[in-house]
Amino acid sequence: MIRRLIALLVSLYLGYILYSFVYVHFPFGERPLRGVAAHYVENGIKEEGATNIVTSIVTLYRGFDTLGEVTVLFLAATGLGLILAGMKREEEEKPEPTLIMETVTKHLFPLVLLFGSYIFIHGHLTPGGGFPAGVVIATGYFMMFIAQRSFTPSEYLLSATESFAGTLYVIVGLLGLALAFSFLDNVMPLGIPNRVFSAGIIPVIYIIIGFKVGSEMTGILLHLKEA
Amino acid sequence: MNSLILFMALGLSVVLIVGTIIIYLSKDLLVAILGSAVISLIASIFFLILQAPDVAITEAAIGAGLTTGILLYAMKKTGRYEDD
Amino acid sequence: MPYEIHGLSVYIYVGLVMLGVIFSLIRLAIGPTAPDRVVATDILTTITTVVLVVLALFFDRQIYLDVALVYAVLAFTAVVAIARFLEGGL
Repeated sequence: MIRRLIALLVSLYLGYILYSFVYVHFPFGERPLRGVAAHYVENGIKEEGATNIVTSIVTLYRGFDTLGEVTVLFLAATGLGLILAGMKREEEEKPEPTLIMETVTKHLFPLVLLFGSYIFIHGHLTPGGGFPAGVVIATGYFMMFIAQRSFTPSEYLLSATESFAGTLYVIVGLLGLALAFSFLDNVMPLGIPNRVFSAGIIPVIYIIIGFKVGSEMTGILLHLKEA
Repeated sequence: MNSLILFMALGLSVVLIVGTIIIYLSKDLLVAILGSAVISLIASIFFLILQAPDVAITEAAIGAGLTTGILLYAMKKTGRYEDD
Repeated sequence: MPYEIHGLSVYIYVGLVMLGVIFSLIRLAIGPTAPDRVVATDILTTITTVVLVVLALFFDRQIYLDVALVYAVLAFTAVVAIARFLEGGL
């Protein structure tokens, strides 16, 4: 009890310090942008053609970091598969899913896939992008294989999609290196802002990331289910 | 910021703190998972209030189903009740 | 405030939403069994969707509706997963 009380007091004190520091030094939305942030906001649309400036920062200005992020996710999925591969799978009787569950998930699944593809195709126009889209698609698959009697996505197909998307991402980066002397450069025409076919390689990269993250997350959930 | 949004944010931060206290005090890990789902909901609203829709949509997508699923699988393999 | 909604009605609306949040939070905190708490979480998800739509109206940005759409499509999954866990079929 006394330990919990001390922990509560310490966290309250830390919260007070954080609050007073942030409140005094960083009032919300009142500081003018400086340095590289100002450059992004002023020239982002002109240079990269994406209406959503966050997208152009994530995939082009800081594109190499995103490649690293995707690699980290890949390593995490591989490590999880490695750990769970040694575990014994105990056979147990599972109750069958009800008819309501099966019917609803069967009809909701295509809509979830459609919504996920909408998010990654429109990544340069609306909020979102590859990562949330992949997670949405993986959640759709998760919903299917907990609520259907017999639905198992092919593990071979999942890892094939993942590897293919990863390779394609590096190839797109090397294309920039070959044509514009900079890794992950925007080599395609920019087009008119606010159209679907605009912003050069941003939609291409986001489609690749969407497929990659979706297959990885589905693989993680499938490993967890089967282990 | 408008006073209405401020009022809403104040109420929602109370929910955030109460959710944390529920997670902290409960011995049933299923309740802790539910509390973390609630916290992710409120965090997503806060990100939208601070006008960061990209972060909000990522938080929503991850918190809505995936975290709950992974934590449930982990809990199924380890055990539901925390023993003192 | 870019979108002028009629003053008093919005205050009443936000008050009612907060009332719903508080009641479902009480059920989440004291609910004797796990299904009570699951239902409370589900109600909180629905309220969150509504709040996100209202924020999109408030800031006058149509693209904010995507965030609400994510919850509207996916909130079902968590409840199904917990229900399957409780009946032992996950």
